[in-house]
Amino acid sequence: MRYTGVVNSDVDDGLHNDQENQSNSSESHQGVEESDSSEDEVAPRNTVGDVPLVWYKDEEHIGYDLNGKKIKKRTRKDKVESFLESADDAKNWLKVYDEYNDEEVEVTKKELKLINRLLKGKAPHSDFDPYAPYVDWFKWDDAKHPLSNAPEPKRRFIPSKWESKKVVKLVRAIRMGLIKRDKPKEEQQFYHLWGDDSSSTEKANHLSFIPAPKSKLPGHEESYNPSLEYIPTQEEINSYQLMFEEDRPKFIPRRYTSLRSIPAYDNAVKDVFERCLDLYLCPRVRKKRINIDPESLKPKLPSRRDLKPYPVTCYLEYKGHTDAVVSISIEASGQWLASGSLDGTVRIWEVETGRCLRVWEFEEAVKFVAWNPLREIPIVAVSVGQEVFILNTGLGDEEEQKNIKELLHFETPVAPDDSGDKVSVASWHQDDKHEGIRLRHFKTVSSVEWHRKGDYFSTVMPAGESRAVLIHQLSKKHTQRIPFKLRGLPVSSVFHPTKKIFFISTKKNIRAYDLQKQKLIKKLETGLREVSSISVHPGGDNIIVGSREGKLCWFDMDLSSKPYRILKCHPKDITNVAFHRSYPLFASCSDDCTAYVFHGMVYSDLNQNPLIVPLEILRGHTSSNGRGVMDCKFHPRQPWLFTAGADSVIKLYCH
Amino acid sequence: MDIDGVNEEENSRRVQVRFVTKLKPPMTVPPLPIAIPSNLTRLGLSTLVNNLIQNGNPDWNTQPFDFLIDGELVRMSLDKFLLAKSISAEKILEIEYIKAVAPRKEEEPSLHDDWVSSVDGSDPRFIVTGCYDSLARVWKAAGECTHILEGHSDVIASVGVINRKGVEGITVATASKDRTLRLWKFDTEDSINNPIRIRAFKILRGHTKSVQCVAAQNTGDMVCSGSWDNTIKLWQTNDSQSDGDLVSIKKRKGNDQADESQLEGEAVSTLVGHTQCVSSVVWPQQETIYSASWDHSVRLWDAETGKNSLDIFCTKVLNCLDVGGESSALIAAGGSDPILRIWDPRKPGTSAPVFQFSSHTSWISACKWHDKSWFHLVSSSYDGKVMLWDLRTAWPLAVIESHKDKVLCADWWKGDSIISGGADSKLCVSSGISVL
Repeated sequence: MRYTGVVNSDVDDGLHNDQENQSNSSESHQGVEESDSSEDEVAPRNTVGDVPLVWYKDEEHIGYDLNGKKIKKRTRKDKVESFLESADDAKNWLKVYDEYNDEEVEVTKKELKLINRLLKGKAPHSDFDPYAPYVDWFKWDDAKHPLSNAPEPKRRFIPSKWESKKVVKLVRAIRMGLIKRDKPKEEQQFYHLWGDDSSSTEKANHLSFIPAPKSKLPGHEESYNPSLEYIPTQEEINSYQLMFEEDRPKFIPRRYTSLRSIPAYDNAVKDVFERCLDLYLCPRVRKKRINIDPESLKPKLPSRRDLKPYPVTCYLEYKGHTDAVVSISIEASGQWLASGSLDGTVRIWEVETGRCLRVWEFEEAVKFVAWNPLREIPIVAVSVGQEVFILNTGLGDEEEQKNIKELLHFETPVAPDDSGDKVSVASWHQDDKHEGIRLRHFKTVSSVEWHRKGDYFSTVMPAGESRAVLIHQLSKKHTQRIPFKLRGLPVSSVFHPTKKIFFISTKKNIRAYDLQKQKLIKKLETGLREVSSISVHPGGDNIIVGSREGKLCWFDMDLSSKPYRILKCHPKDITNVAFHRSYPLFASCSDDCTAYVFHGMVYSDLNQNPLIVPLEILRGHTSSNGRGVMDCKFHPRQPWLFTAGADSVIKLYCH
Repeated sequence: MDIDGVNEEENSRRVQVRFVTKLKPPMTVPPLPIAIPSNLTRLGLSTLVNNLIQNGNPDWNTQPFDFLIDGELVRMSLDKFLLAKSISAEKILEIEYIKAVAPRKEEEPSLHDDWVSSVDGSDPRFIVTGCYDSLARVWKAAGECTHILEGHSDVIASVGVINRKGVEGITVATASKDRTLRLWKFDTEDSINNPIRIRAFKILRGHTKSVQCVAAQNTGDMVCSGSWDNTIKLWQTNDSQSDGDLVSIKKRKGNDQADESQLEGEAVSTLVGHTQCVSSVVWPQQETIYSASWDHSVRLWDAETGKNSLDIFCTKVLNCLDVGGESSALIAAGGSDPILRIWDPRKPGTSAPVFQFSSHTSWISACKWHDKSWFHLVSSSYDGKVMLWDLRTAWPLAVIESHKDKVLCADWWKGDSIISGGADSKLCVSSGISVL
């Protein structure tokens, strides 16, 4: 260290080095040579320490040696002498004067190299390589544990107390208003009144921003001296007075010879007021307009032409009744038609020609007629008031007639030998007048439905309360109550076309009962005000229900207890609904004198829901006493629809 | 040419025509081309031809004619017709004229007690009608009833005259809704004021439902019947007691009833195939039976084997069927819609009708070909009209509106009359139709 410090300070003083100093330096140099391993051990000749040399400026000596003797200052050479000396000596530039020790030191070649390297900013020793490849002495491979297995210190998990204190301080300062975070926005003092607002920043910020409507810009006619074509004539001005006040032009252009002569605008206050009213009261709502083709919202339905055949035109009329025909029924083969009317007659018609074959007369209005579904037993069940008649139509061959006569004959009335309860419900009698059986009920019977096997039939008495629905067996002349508790007012009952299931529809709901297990299977909630009629699809899994409010519900038993579809077609009560036995058709008839025919395709694939397509509106009946079409039934084998009207006509609509 | 009413049309277009005909003199005109105004209608052409004939034959009584151009009847004015058919008006047009086919005389209707359900006029000597009062009647002429056939217990649905060769006397078959067919024999020679009531000589039992139609083989040996039990049954018509079964039945029958002469017959064979009521049968040739049914099909049966050889499916219920026309091969059928359809079974590969006539407004109840003409047929409908058709035009030749209610049956009689019966219980005869 000593070398460097001295060398740096005395490089310029090289000229002042003298002989004595040189000899001393060689001595010291030798001393240095001795202790090459450690430079610090070479003791300097002078022992005064680190004191300013100025103190010895005026002394003879420069300090003291190890033994305490004064080191005498060498005699100074004069400049010429030293210059000559330096000129003579080629190595003079290597000599450095050591002021502290008062001697001249010659820099060796090795030291020179070292100095050069330092000056260039390199490492002092030439054999030191600062960019030697790094040799990692620690063996990292296969180390199981990290170098330090110490757990994370707790302080790393604890929020810094000082930081939180600082934050609290800042928050307080912000609250007190000492720190202002952002400058308040400068409000624009002026804005472009007639500029386009559509690209304003407000619009960008608010999605629902609607700019205020602009008032109209003044045009040429508002000029103080407009062209003649803007000036209305006196007649026009007069005609303005006749116009409606809102249509009247607000401003009438006039001409003035100079700006000076323009009077004050008398409507100024009114105009501004109206403008303010406009801005304030005019509802500015962005209309959300969705452009949807209304056609695309309609469900894709197959064309009606592809769904042929279905009943379209009325070709045949069955005339003969004198009052509204309330019920019709078609024989299983489709050759005969039975009809019951309010005039108290039941008629049998030939479907093909419209010929009335037979008439039965009763005292009361006929409510319901139903053919036995078996072709071999052409008998008709008729409900008249409190009675149900089983009538022999006399059709069929001799053998069948014999069977029917046996079936409709019994010696003693069954009623007396039964318990008293059953007597009151229904009693069987032989009816000689009409050649059939008379079943006397205790209340008015509204409908009769046959079981598909033609032996059992059910009757519904809406006023019968708990005994409202009865099931009769024709072969045993036996009557039984249904073993279920009835809820609500029953409207009609239907047997399932294939299974042992019995449907009872009340005014609101429809319940399906298993007759074998004697329990309720399903309850269908129509959601209608008053159910009027029900029909079961021949497959048995779909039911249509007509209601008094003109709605028709389609139930898919597999789907849910809610209607699969509700069709609102009729403006008045639906009086009856019917399924076709073989064609995918169903129909509804209503008091609005129309019958609707629908395509109702039920797929055997359970994944496919039934397809319902409205096909045709059948008109032709006329209204009578507010009633229109009272009943509709499909021909069992042809796509034909029979409708019974309150105008006492039965019509046949063919495909 | 000096023709009234034509000179006024000086400035209208004229066409060169030549009138030709197959009619015999004196109804011929000189085959010279003449120029006539193109706006003439059928009436104009008819007066023209009548005048032409009158020129050659002064004591000619005018009669209406019908005109054919290229095998099609002219039913509009000549220029419209040429335009519609795109026939050139430049060259000489050849117009064939025929006698207009239309009834000239409406005879007094023959009143029945009930609806007339069926009528047969295949024998020129008499008309047979079936009635809803379960009686069949034989009429010598309009209003002259000679026989009443008594015995059915229900509505007679169909009657058919059996032409038996080598047997004098007349045999008639009736089909009834009482599920039986009855065969009757009578003689037309005796003419008495009061109609004779006769009973059937043979009762054919076997159908389980009402019998809807009956038709006789042309030899007269057998009849076939269609019924609501979906079958067609074939029956023997002979009254010989050769069959053992028949004799025994007759004996048993004799014990029960007073009438000894009634035979009972059973079906020879049954043709099964229709799935619904067989509404009409015809037996035009020895071997083939045509049947129409409510199952929308027309079927052709081989009478010997009972095989069904041809099906034509229509989309509508069929009520009536007849075979005739060109070489007796065209099938005409009508049913539950106002369209009379005509099929040609000889046309391979198609079941589309070759003609459709749709002037009726309700169900067609009967259709009959003229037995001599290839072109003429008659149809009756529930709309109360009987229409006379010519295959060569889409419009009816004549519409007979003598019925007040549904017409249930119609037939030709004597080749120049149309007989029809309906729900107004009348048998109407429109005569004087010069088809040939």
